[in-house]
Amino acid sequence: MTKRLLMIDDDPDFVSGIKAILDAANFEVDVAYNPKDGLNALQSKQYDLLLLDIMMGRGAEGVMIARKLRKDAKLREMPVLIITGMREQIAFLFPGEPIHPRFVEVDELVEKPVEPKMLIEKVNNLIQTAEARKAGKK
Amino acid sequence: MESKPKILIIDDEEVVLDSCTQILRGGNYDISTASNGTLGLKLAQDIQPDLVFVDLKMPGISGFEVLEKISEIDPNIVMIVITGYATVSSAVDAMKKGAYDFLPKPFTPDEFRLITQRGLERRKLTLETIALRREKELLREQFASIVSHELKAPLGAVQQNLFALEFELANVLNKAQKEKMERIKVRIGELLQMINSWLRAISVDISKLKENFEQIFIADPISRAIENIESLAVRKNIEVISSVSASLPSIIGDNISLSEAFINIIGNAIKYSHDGSKVTMQVEEKENNLLISIKDTGIGVSEEDIPHIFDGFYRGKSGQAAASGHGIGLAVSRQIIEAHNGSISVESELGKGTTFVISLPIFKA
Repeated sequence: MTKRLLMIDDDPDFVSGIKAILDAANFEVDVAYNPKDGLNALQSKQYDLLLLDIMMGRGAEGVMIARKLRKDAKLREMPVLIITGMREQIAFLFPGEPIHPRFVEVDELVEKPVEPKMLIEKVNNLIQTAEARKAGKK
Repeated sequence: MESKPKILIIDDEEVVLDSCTQILRGGNYDISTASNGTLGLKLAQDIQPDLVFVDLKMPGISGFEVLEKISEIDPNIVMIVITGYATVSSAVDAMKKGAYDFLPKPFTPDEFRLITQRGLERRKLTLETIALRREKELLREQFASIVSHELKAPLGAVQQNLFALEFELANVLNKAQKEKMERIKVRIGELLQMINSWLRAISVDISKLKENFEQIFIADPISRAIENIESLAVRKNIEVISSVSASLPSIIGDNISLSEAFINIIGNAIKYSHDGSKVTMQVEEKENNLLISIKDTGIGVSEEDIPHIFDGFYRGKSGQAAASGHGIGLAVSRQIIEAHNGSISVESELGKGTTFVISLPIFKA
């Protein structure tokens, strides 16, 4: 079955560069260009994965979205791939560590720009892990 | 002081107030007078003057007390003392209370004009310094976010679209076209890296480092750093050899920033090494310090460049174009090490290699 992804990022040019790769890899990608539209989309449709930008609008509004997700019983299980340009600031706090400050329980962080191979790999891995976890719970 | 400079004169002798006002009339000043300390302080509070003349000997609260209180209102108000009983010791006392200058009675109109001018110049300088300092601080704070948004975002979007294009055209492009694509990607990637290293340099708040200090073992930040730098070493086929004994005494410091410093220095050694060579890292205990040495056999630093390599944005005349080094990394490293009460030194010979030695004090329980 085709996997359905949502991307929330306020830079249309960047989004097009990500979406083209995911389209070519046969994902179905919806896009929201601001946190509000993004949250609406998450409420109205079901997604297999969220691609989330951190620095949007007036500051780190992506973090706010992530926090809302964590509190939402239904959305909490959805894997999140954080794609951010601010890894340097985060990296300084955690140099050389494979982890980052967890915004949501099931997330991973990559830095803009993202190599196509790595992007597809991360997306696939996160979805598979989430599905395996779900199956294990049942 | 765009508007008229505000001058307040506090003296119990009416003749002094009048003559001072008279002398300064015609100059472009806003002059207020008070006949005792209490009134003077109230006025100072209300009008926020640029310059205050205070008579030391007045009935009621003394001139010294007035000086003190005005400093409390605003320490940047320039205060000049006028007095009839000019002695060296009272002048010194007044200076201690924050007075900028001292004018003994009687004085000539010229003397008074001159001292007024000097006082106002002083005020102007003080205000300018404050404004500059505030601006600098603001710039530093905002720089990180400006850089990341205004420079990184567009470059990232360009690179991302390039990635997409290359991905879509994977089976279409010929070898020469792919090479061009690669060249563009590499150069943009380097630009992004450079912005990142600048960002890292300015986002280190050295003054706050000490808040996270704890007892640590040097092997920890060293192994973190080596792990972090591994991909760079592999790319240049350079072996990073480190021998850190597990029995070394501990130090007081911050793991994360220390490893950042090591990353910069080892990274630097790798960058300026010849492909296939070695970078050697050793730690030894000497008296009350740990000496950490990082040695390469690369291009070296010339004698005239050595005194400058820890200055930000310095890359040396002989710095090879091949290495995408950014001198700022060493400047930050030095700041981090100095925040740990340590020191860093360098020995180098052009063409033979470079050795950095970091000294950090051993923790004594």
